[in-house]
Amino acid sequence: MNLKHARSCFKGILIRESLRFLNQRARFFAALVRPLVWLFIFAAGFRSVLGVSIIPPYQTYVLYEEYITPGLLGMIMLFNGMQSSLSMVYDREMGSMRLLLVSPLPRWFLLLCKLLSGVAVALLQVYVFLLIAWFWEVRPPVSGYFMVIPALILSGLMLGALGLMLSSFVTQLENFAGVMNFVIFPMFFASSALYPLWRVRDSSELLYWVANLNPFTHAVEFVRFALYSEINWQAGLITLLCTLFFSAVAIWGYDPLRGFLPRKGGPAT
Amino acid sequence: MQERRMKKQHCRGKSREPNLACVLVAAVSILFTANASAYNVYVSNEKDNTISIIDGDTLEVVDTVTVGERPRGIVLSNDGSVLYMCTSDEDHVEVLDLKTLKVTHSLPSGPDPELMQLNPEGTKLYIANEDDNLVTVVNVDERTKEVEIPVGIEPEGIGVSPDGKWLVNTSETTNMAHFINTDTLKIEANVVVDTRPRVAQFTGDGKEVWVSSEIGGTVSIIDTDSKEIKHKISFEVRGLAPESIQPVGIKLSTDGSNLAYIALGPAARVAVINMETYEVEKYLLVGQRVWNLEFSPSQDRLFTTNGVSGDVSVIDLKKRRVIKSVKVGRFPWGLAISE
Amino acid sequence: MSNDDTDASLSARNINFSFGCKAVLEDVQIAVPNGQFVALLGQNGAGKTTLFSIITGLYAAHGGEIRIGGHDLRMNTEAALASIGVVFQRATLDRDLTVKQNLRYFCHLHGIATSELQKRIDAALASYGLSDLQQRKVTELSGGQQRRIELARATLHDPNFLLLDEPTVGLDHANRMEFVSNVKTLCKERNVGVLWATHLMDEVEDADYVYFLHHGKILFEGGSADLLKEHGKKSIAELYSHLTGQPADATVI
Repeated sequence: MNLKHARSCFKGILIRESLRFLNQRARFFAALVRPLVWLFIFAAGFRSVLGVSIIPPYQTYVLYEEYITPGLLGMIMLFNGMQSSLSMVYDREMGSMRLLLVSPLPRWFLLLCKLLSGVAVALLQVYVFLLIAWFWEVRPPVSGYFMVIPALILSGLMLGALGLMLSSFVTQLENFAGVMNFVIFPMFFASSALYPLWRVRDSSELLYWVANLNPFTHAVEFVRFALYSEINWQAGLITLLCTLFFSAVAIWGYDPLRGFLPRKGGPAT
Repeated sequence: MQERRMKKQHCRGKSREPNLACVLVAAVSILFTANASAYNVYVSNEKDNTISIIDGDTLEVVDTVTVGERPRGIVLSNDGSVLYMCTSDEDHVEVLDLKTLKVTHSLPSGPDPELMQLNPEGTKLYIANEDDNLVTVVNVDERTKEVEIPVGIEPEGIGVSPDGKWLVNTSETTNMAHFINTDTLKIEANVVVDTRPRVAQFTGDGKEVWVSSEIGGTVSIIDTDSKEIKHKISFEVRGLAPESIQPVGIKLSTDGSNLAYIALGPAARVAVINMETYEVEKYLLVGQRVWNLEFSPSQDRLFTTNGVSGDVSVIDLKKRRVIKSVKVGRFPWGLAISE
Repeated sequence: MSNDDTDASLSARNINFSFGCKAVLEDVQIAVPNGQFVALLGQNGAGKTTLFSIITGLYAAHGGEIRIGGHDLRMNTEAALASIGVVFQRATLDRDLTVKQNLRYFCHLHGIATSELQKRIDAALASYGLSDLQQRKVTELSGGQQRRIELARATLHDPNFLLLDEPTVGLDHANRMEFVSNVKTLCKERNVGVLWATHLMDEVEDADYVYFLHHGKILFEGGSADLLKEHGKKSIAELYSHLTGQPADATVI
């Protein structure tokens, strides 16, 4: 793999994803509406829930809207990561995935390009969301808008790699509804996205531990701190390690020696 | 700040080259201005019987001083050297020397003092005695009780007009604001306001008195000359029950911004009000049971005591954002800020 | 170029593959010399798609050796893959994008320099008479046009081996024959080796060489003319029925 080819390949994938994204405005709005519904409706209903305790990175009491904003950024990354990595496998993109994988570049690199361009598209959604949230008076410091980028990229990679890993092993997850039920919802709800962990602990010690073991919790906390110009090293490190682990397993899962797309009963022959 | 700039310019005028003296003067003036801009925030903690001292720059608690029981209303002397504290359960006012941080003496106050104000000269304290239906006037230099003025039931708030001529006292149960002439020490007018009036504050020009009604949920604006209510402000916070909105502390800006700030108690909000239109412009989220408010010397920040959550929230008034909440003792109540 | 088998467009030897205990391919050997049109015949389920997945590196064979343009697929994957052009059974064009955007994407994947890429696209489309479709969205094109664009795309990077997996599925007879003739032209003019998998026998009547894949094994192979003569049949379809004992798929129109 030479550098020029690698760059050209990444550029090509990025352009393609962006074009597809621009062409599918409905998908974009759907992806944007989801977190906005949470912000406008769910958070408004629970407005008075918080404000009993101050937890880092917050310096003072925050409205529930402000608390769940990083969680909703995580939600964008989560849906996007799952959607893009699973669509790589199951959707009508399957043909184009083959086209990608027979390109003369190492497979890990192709998968990485694919994940990164998925993250780039998600970042666009995140910033549109943050802009709308700004008018909703969710206003993190200006520096936070920049510092959150690496945190979002890493979280996006982790979730994308997780999606890839799942798709290479769990053959039952054949449609997105299954993924919603068994991956996205549990990960989102059993995390610190909607409630701070101390509050979770008040109601259930078990759930508290589950949330602590949930990589999504750490991704959200990493993003949360970054959004307030702080670095949560522990959450960052855990996110990084999870990313590496999921990626390694995903690449192993896509190793041609094991076969591409091992499905029930094997492929169409 | 100005002084520092002048000195710098002076140095530059002499020579383009930086010289040692110039640098030294600049350094000293920076130190000097830094010290000059620094201010302390004093917070009385009702349950802990302490005063927390917060550094106005670092926004951290730098000292905690044990005082008499149940300290509530606190007022700085005009020269800033001592802090007068209503130690309610001691039935007197204690005086804290701010250099030594020792209580040097106490002043007679009548039973259960809660809120008080100094007259503009800084010689007399007007103290509300909640249990005795009295306002007590105390001479701080002679440390004597000068007179006791009978007022309505459960007197609470005390406001002194900028010219010192009027003293307004609110009585919680009678639901009145009593206008007392400070020369005759007689009540000249009683203005009925909404249920359980708490704090009374004069505007900077003395033309209006703002009175908060805790249960009524309103703030009445009384014209000082006619003694009539010219406007009533009510509040509405999205997602909160109306009964949880209980206006208490009031601060009226005098820096030309024409903004008033009202603490809304259990609503955990401070309302920002335009003093011309009387419209609420914003609600800022602070701690639980926000009670009293105080400006920083330049009125760029507002400090709030949050009783239930045990902290002091700091509001950046330009950005209209709560920037920090500082943990203090249990049930912080009164606030005073040194210049 | 030497005539040695190892330098041929494709040489696959001793290919075995199984899903679990179920053997899908057994000891398959296929060679596609440069410039030859080679047909791989087999019913659905014979193992064609699996074999193609192995040749394109999507699966790894359990044993055996595959060389493409002389490059060992396992040892030198990227060089081997760079020598293959593929037209998949299923459409792989992005339907939301224009023809041009699709082709540029492919060029980027293959590291074709930006300065050269548009020239290649123009030339490839021109050679199939598709030049005026460049700005059109894929959804606006007919099935036949889409297939031919995929063929044009598969040659953008100048492969010397072309793999076509049932490329004419879903096309009507006229379109199929046009596609076939396009491929044959390519084969002769550019000296590209072609491996064409199909179950539609009429497409490969005049193939240079034919493999019959049946239940994962190469049942028969040979030059088509020789095989017809040997078995005294008039068409590949007849021959197929004769050899496998199954009726050949009708040339569905």
